[in-house]
Amino acid sequence: MRTYPKDYPIVQIRNLHKLFPVGRGQNLHAIDGVDFDLRPGKTLALVGESGSGKSTVARCIVRLIEPSSGDVVLHGNSILPLTSLQMARQYRQLQMVFQDPNASLNPRMTVRKVLEEPLKLHLDMSAGTRASRLRELIEMVGLTAAHLDRYPHELSGGQRQRVGIARALAINPEVVLLDEPTASLDVSVRGQILDLLKRLQSELNLAFLFISHDLQVVRHVADEVAVMYLGRIVEQGPTEEIFRHPRHPYTQALISAAPVAQWGVERHRVRLAGEISTPVDPPAACRLAGRCPIEQPVCSRRDMPLQEIGPDHRVACPFAVQALLDRKTG
Amino acid sequence: MSDPILQVENFSGGFLSKTGEMTRILHDVSYTLERGRITAVVGETGSGKSVTALSVLGLQAPTFRRLSGRILFDGTDLTAIGPKELRALRGSRISMVFQDARAALNPVFSIGQQLADTYRLHHGGSRRAAMAQAVDALRRVHIPEPERRARQYPHEFSGGMAQRAMIAMAALICTPELLILDEPTTGLDVTTQAEIMDLVLDLARARNLTVCLITHDLGVVAETCDHVVVMNRGVVAETGPTERIFTAPRDAYTKRLLGASQLAEAAE
Repeated sequence: MRTYPKDYPIVQIRNLHKLFPVGRGQNLHAIDGVDFDLRPGKTLALVGESGSGKSTVARCIVRLIEPSSGDVVLHGNSILPLTSLQMARQYRQLQMVFQDPNASLNPRMTVRKVLEEPLKLHLDMSAGTRASRLRELIEMVGLTAAHLDRYPHELSGGQRQRVGIARALAINPEVVLLDEPTASLDVSVRGQILDLLKRLQSELNLAFLFISHDLQVVRHVADEVAVMYLGRIVEQGPTEEIFRHPRHPYTQALISAAPVAQWGVERHRVRLAGEISTPVDPPAACRLAGRCPIEQPVCSRRDMPLQEIGPDHRVACPFAVQALLDRKTG
Repeated sequence: MSDPILQVENFSGGFLSKTGEMTRILHDVSYTLERGRITAVVGETGSGKSVTALSVLGLQAPTFRRLSGRILFDGTDLTAIGPKELRALRGSRISMVFQDARAALNPVFSIGQQLADTYRLHHGGSRRAAMAQAVDALRRVHIPEPERRARQYPHEFSGGMAQRAMIAMAALICTPELLILDEPTTGLDVTTQAEIMDLVLDLARARNLTVCLITHDLGVVAETCDHVVVMNRGVVAETGPTERIFTAPRDAYTKRLLGASQLAEAAE
């Protein structure tokens, strides 16, 4: 396990943009200026609803999708100028776990083959070392050597996701991007996978980017939360702060819409008007303009940048910030 | 006072493989839906919650075999009547909403057309009157610009919008006594999910519908349902009023399921 100074930013995302041309000179702004850092041993959760751009962010970091502009910095060096051969070497440190283990595991490969592949690609190991590494890996994720000779269809959903995790960790990465790793799992299995991820994170000092639309899961695993809406981060802060005192109207609507599996919990729903607007060439305006319960005329006239409102807590809404100041002074 | 609309009694069944082997998946399942109530049937993958509900409508997979038990709807044993009688019940007295609305809708007909056709099937009348009913139903499930939307096709609807249209069809175009919803909000965003459940609740209360909500999401259950049936591996683990199930679960599986669903709360 490598050690770093406290708060060492192993990955830095700076002003990331991704545009997809949609014809007639128009562009879909999937990511519209996103900044954040990932730190060893810490989990940053990226939350938001479908179409908010959170998966695109992960794909841009590993360059499965090429960002349009901005920077992705790993250990202080930009990885965007790297050739695909140089990039392949970066995957030693940067791995990904996907949502649907059915789709991300090759159905014609045994678990052994699946796990062997990254070892052969990235590490120069003798057959003997590799065999013991495979056993170590499969046990690390709570399976047994007997599972190595099975095919994905012979495993349960939870077991398949464990294999997906083992594959990502095979070559000892430092950063793992998890794209909805528990979305396809039953709740009882979900808990086991989350516990496994937390254990592995603390044992291996891994930096996690955890993408999820499941707020309960996020509250359980994340140290920090970034809320995305239409390609932008509208609020970012420490997990409990975001859940207890959400400031941006969108964060409030999102958190207040998530049902809680407890009796007698009163929710004060913050409701948004209408439907999500289009990400195709959005105007310079707050992304929530037209739906927001505290909207002011200025909101549809200019962009709303993130503003610092507390320790590591940023909100892209001047009126939420103002309301907070009023309460403090009044 | 008990006024059951649906009684599942000692219902057992399984899937028949090609080689003639029987895998039992439902073991003496019994539960009752009381008229006017919203009952949740909860369980994880493979618990048998959906198969049981599909059997109510005779929509179970062709390899499913009932081994014993019966399903009484308003006193009639649904397992004993023929396909024709069952078809007469479907839509007119019992209707169902499925998980993926866009897959459940026909891609080659406009939304309005599908609603209007269903309306004429059940209530007759002219095409024009049926289309007016379709547009009205879309309006009542809060679809903006219902006239324009009625001319659109399923692929032009978002997931949440399509589910609203399905609910319009199942609860407004059809005027059932019992509405079965099989994971109606799974795969939808939380804000959309909350709106869909609000809509279901409003419709159920306004029309005194009996609702059976099949779900794995205990959060939705805590807020919307009167009564809960917990299923696990083809067995009914526990049934009871929602408050009792959540505050004083008796069965070990129910306790485990609640614990797993309350991740964050348990961590505090």
